[in-house]
Amino acid sequence: MATNDKAEVLIVGAGASGSVYAAVMAKQGKKVVVLEQGPDWQLSDLTSSDIWGRRLKPAGGPFILEGKNPVSYGFQGGWGVGGAALHYFANFPRLLPSDFRIKSEHGRAHDWPISYQDVAPYYDKVARDVGVSGDAKAEEVWRPAGQPYPMPPMKTFRNGQVWLKGFEAAGIRMVPAAVGMNSTEFKGRPACIYDGWCHVGCPIGALANPLVTYLADARKAGTEVRPWSTVTRVLTNDQGTRVTGVEYYDRNKERQVQEANVVVLAAWAAQNPRLLLNSATGKHPKGLANSNGLVGKYMMTHFASGTSAIFDEDLENHMGTTGAQYMSYDRYGKTSHKEGFGSTFIVAGAALKTSGLGGFANARPDLFGADLDEFMKRAKRGFSRITAFGEELPNIENRIELMSDKDELGMPLAKIIHNYNKDAQAVWDANFAEGLQIAKAAGANDVWSARGNMPTIHLMGGTIMGTDASNSVVDSYGRTHEIPNLYIAGPGIFATAGASNPTYTIFALSLRGAEQLASQWSTVAG
Amino acid sequence: MNPIERRDFIKGAATGALAFTVGGVETLLTPREARAQNVPFRLLKANEAETIEALGETLVPGARAAGVAHFIDQQLSVPPGEALLEARILNVRPPYAAFYRAAIGAVDTASKALNSGRDFAQLDPGERHDFVDAMRQNKLQNWKGPGGSLVYLVLRSDAVDVVYGTVEGYDALGIPYMPHIAPQQRW
Repeated sequence: MATNDKAEVLIVGAGASGSVYAAVMAKQGKKVVVLEQGPDWQLSDLTSSDIWGRRLKPAGGPFILEGKNPVSYGFQGGWGVGGAALHYFANFPRLLPSDFRIKSEHGRAHDWPISYQDVAPYYDKVARDVGVSGDAKAEEVWRPAGQPYPMPPMKTFRNGQVWLKGFEAAGIRMVPAAVGMNSTEFKGRPACIYDGWCHVGCPIGALANPLVTYLADARKAGTEVRPWSTVTRVLTNDQGTRVTGVEYYDRNKERQVQEANVVVLAAWAAQNPRLLLNSATGKHPKGLANSNGLVGKYMMTHFASGTSAIFDEDLENHMGTTGAQYMSYDRYGKTSHKEGFGSTFIVAGAALKTSGLGGFANARPDLFGADLDEFMKRAKRGFSRITAFGEELPNIENRIELMSDKDELGMPLAKIIHNYNKDAQAVWDANFAEGLQIAKAAGANDVWSARGNMPTIHLMGGTIMGTDASNSVVDSYGRTHEIPNLYIAGPGIFATAGASNPTYTIFALSLRGAEQLASQWSTVAG
Repeated sequence: MNPIERRDFIKGAATGALAFTVGGVETLLTPREARAQNVPFRLLKANEAETIEALGETLVPGARAAGVAHFIDQQLSVPPGEALLEARILNVRPPYAAFYRAAIGAVDTASKALNSGRDFAQLDPGERHDFVDAMRQNKLQNWKGPGGSLVYLVLRSDAVDVVYGTVEGYDALGIPYMPHIAPQQRW
């Protein structure tokens, strides 16, 4: 076993949330070490290919997926420096004020311990840090005013524009999508060239992935990023009152210990609970920060109702970005659909490629052989889709548990158990019904719902925030209630899911948490 | 990633080729080239490759010549973390070879039971079509292995990859590929 020089801040995971903590703390002059289990990806690794892009995804992760609606871990997760934010679509909608008060306003789920106004300044800061394109003024029909985005909206293309007539007929206002992409040059990073390969990684840095934003800042400020380092346990002192570092295995599968004053778990909503549960000691027999039994509970995802259509014109659907061209919160109200409770967020106008789960070969997964070939020839000209993301309410039965089986490092595997409830099913159905109406009103020739297994997108929860240890694992900054120098970052701390793509909120909450850690350093670090 | 591995990795991605063994020497080829040169399979047995080619061709016309069996074979021979298979995204648990072997076994066992002892590759095109249509709906009798719908999805994805997911496939459909970092040999 090897022991390394002690760090002041140790961050587990080099994705969206970990990179924010690293940047903030390194700029404060702290000695920061980031441990990342996968490779040290560079921009030059980001080949424009759905096939090669799979290298950025987890390889048969250590999670067994159970339940009626198994979590799509492989599609959502990341692997290596940059994490899932290396292949995300960079849609940057915010949560809305109602998301933070769902218990107060509707008697459902639970409130966040903070309000939208607590997070809003950080949305604005993140926009200035990483670059967001959009029209903030146009969004303000749905949310409180904030600062304008630093860049104007992205270009739109026919594959997005073609839907507008249908949305108008349905009374749904569409505005330019807020995206973490450059419509113009931004901080030395070039403008997007609209070739639609965002989902396999943007090697020119026009998309705000960690390699060109916070992680670049962190490295410049002296952060050490240590790839191929798989953390297996968080270590505590004899009294169990403070964390002292982590145990990890290096590329040669040799055990190492990295001591630190403060540990930030930023290894995504699935792996953070697995680590906490595997770090049980005599003082913490149920796992760290888990005396209330809430670690691994309230796992949440979004479901998506995709409406597909073929139009009788050449939409050039390969053009644009994998993110959206247009977005709407007009069905975001929790009671927008009488059939079921929960928000819906709508997007339109994503660029399409041929293969991969999101490719248009999978728009009709029932087709094969000559039928598929005929479809591909029609679809490449006139196919497009819109997507309505739906909110799943937190359910304590949706959870992560350790298993008796172990991985190659001797760490127990974990299972993720996930089932949607009746509200989710009802909102999913309602969004399909409305999607078909929109597509027909838009003038599409051939229209269908992209049904199948109910999808599970954007994993959240498992270490939720709340007012105290009676209802949650962490406070609003991500600091665990039980151990003062242990923080958790990422979508795992969301108290509820909303229906907005989560990464903008991940960045904002991480920035809020990191700045609090910096301001309280002497108290927290001991 | 250490410098040597990283260099090889980038080279493979940039050329669009995979490492095949030809005459005992590692050579970078596309799966189509590997099939055309009759490169020996690393893991698949001849009958397994035959089943995969027959399935691939049924799922996506052109998959056989595009090297679907060589693609899968080569990918099964590399560590899961380097694999480019859609199985990775579809939460198939490594080692992926175990899944493919079980899938092939299930297909041929069910085919024999339904078709007087004939493997899937021995069926005529119409019979293959009907078999796959039943498999994707989990409607095959005597099915013993991973779910038929999952086998359909995984193998269909592989066939789609080698036929429609390449630069050549985009060209055939008339879609501009527009890469940032181009796979230089049309992969």
